[in-house]
Amino acid sequence: MDALTTTGLTKAYGRARPRVHLPGRDPTGEVRALEDLTIGVVEGEIFGFLGPNGAGKSTTIRLLLGFLHPTAGSATVLGLDIVRDTVAIRSRVGYLPGGIALYDSLSGERLLDYLGELTGRPSTRRAELLDRLELSARTLRRPVRDYSRGMRQKIGIIQALQHDPELAILDEPTEGLDPLMQRAFYGILDDLKAAGRTIFFSSHVLSEVERVCDRVAIVRRGRLVALQDVASLLEHRKRNVELRVADGDLPSLDGVAGVSAIGRTADGRLTCQLEGDVGPFLAAIAGHRISDLTIEPAHLEEAFLELYEDREPEDGDEIPTAPAAVPG
Amino acid sequence: MNRVLFGHLWRSQRTKLLVVCVAMTAWNTFLPVIYKSFGQQMKILVDSGVIPRQLTNFGGGDVFSLSGAVAVGYIHPISIILVSIFAIGFATSAIAGERQRGTLEVLLARPLSRRQVYVTTLVAVFLFIGLVLAAASLGTILGSGIVGVAGELTVARLPILWLNGMLLWGSIAAIALAASVSFDRLTPALGVTVAIVIVSYFLYVLGSLWPDAAGLEPYSLFNYLASRDILNGTVDLAGFGLLALVGAVAIGVAMVVFPRRDLAAPS
Repeated sequence: MDALTTTGLTKAYGRARPRVHLPGRDPTGEVRALEDLTIGVVEGEIFGFLGPNGAGKSTTIRLLLGFLHPTAGSATVLGLDIVRDTVAIRSRVGYLPGGIALYDSLSGERLLDYLGELTGRPSTRRAELLDRLELSARTLRRPVRDYSRGMRQKIGIIQALQHDPELAILDEPTEGLDPLMQRAFYGILDDLKAAGRTIFFSSHVLSEVERVCDRVAIVRRGRLVALQDVASLLEHRKRNVELRVADGDLPSLDGVAGVSAIGRTADGRLTCQLEGDVGPFLAAIAGHRISDLTIEPAHLEEAFLELYEDREPEDGDEIPTAPAAVPG
Repeated sequence: MNRVLFGHLWRSQRTKLLVVCVAMTAWNTFLPVIYKSFGQQMKILVDSGVIPRQLTNFGGGDVFSLSGAVAVGYIHPISIILVSIFAIGFATSAIAGERQRGTLEVLLARPLSRRQVYVTTLVAVFLFIGLVLAAASLGTILGSGIVGVAGELTVARLPILWLNGMLLWGSIAAIALAASVSFDRLTPALGVTVAIVIVSYFLYVLGSLWPDAAGLEPYSLFNYLASRDILNGTVDLAGFGLLALVGAVAIGVAMVVFPRRDLAAPS
């Protein structure tokens, strides 16, 4: 079952028909923050929602939570319609806004109590989260205005997850966390996933999406660029290869399947890019006296940049997609 | 109406509320003292023609009678400022201020409808205003008792005066909340509300001091705060109805606008 679906979800700001047409301005007067977004998030998966600032990530989240009203399209969260059932949705969802603002005059403990009471569900995960994120009872007694950015972010994470929501929508959740706390947070996500919870994870930090997400949707300028499982995205991206031979007899890689951008360095090394199956490449270099071979591991960041550099989504474009993996 | 949110609003304002209520009580205790101490002397001065009589009509009150002195107290800038702390300051910041700070989205991420947030805030504002105006009534009773003019005061009419004050300040608070739900930042919400109140106050004061401008008074909300008339036993139900209508329209606008508007990410 899908925990979250969007179908042609679109959000435009501004007047559809401006009263005054100014030279050099968009004659429609509209800004399309999100256009025709169609995605499905499977129950129990960690879904990454990637894109640079201004791509439409926060707009999507705000539509899902009822802060914004869609211009076109529809969406459901936990089977509930985002326009009609927004209050019911929010009773079952945990939300961490990007750059969360908190009530500075309250103590951390009072703030968590207050937000927990408003949610109306017992804060069953709070103690565990406090422990994992190393927030002591003494710290919680201090007013939030005295907290560092990292501590505020921890409070933000706890308020989103303390009532054990069925779906957690997290906007840039590791912002302000130190590497140790980021690791602790990834552990929390793993536990939530093991407990069957769904995570919708917005980020522009590609390495963490690669680390934690099952599938990823990439948006740019309000439009979906790709929707794939992370493993597939990494598998199909080019790897950087560098090899050195002992006797100067470099293998010929011209025409080898999956190999491109072949070059030679001044010190006699051969470089190329490799995509897909490595078999033909290995067969081509077999029999040569290879003294050194480096194949850089695929990073999502490069796959992401390739997608951005290579294509500009247009109407009618086919979005690269892979079927949703059933989370295990 | 949400009990948890209401509790939060109460806790966040209770100290300020206590201070304002004490100040309001003190101010309204002071007015019967002025009436008792200087009322006769002022009347002699005015009757002698040294002071133009029109100047004594400020805000529909005077200091020659207890009811007139109480009326001056209700319309005096000190009183206006004290009630405005909640009717304007709290009301405008309740939504627009939270939106500006970014805390509104933390609140609205909970299972609360925007109408619930609005109604709870409205109830809280009305309660705070009601308590401040009750403190004014208490001050009137205390002051009258202290200077020995309690016999000139019909205490049973104070609840009607309280209701009249509630309708005036309730309608102003409703306008402030309507502005608050309509803007993303506090400054414009505050600016619009303060402008409405200042213009309204200016029209009333001008009309009460300058006979040629008396025609402006009906266009002021403050014209329908009939403190002296109420304490003298006259009630203008049409004025009550007009204030209630203004408040109801502002509430209606807010109830329609707030749920429908887009709340984009705070900048």
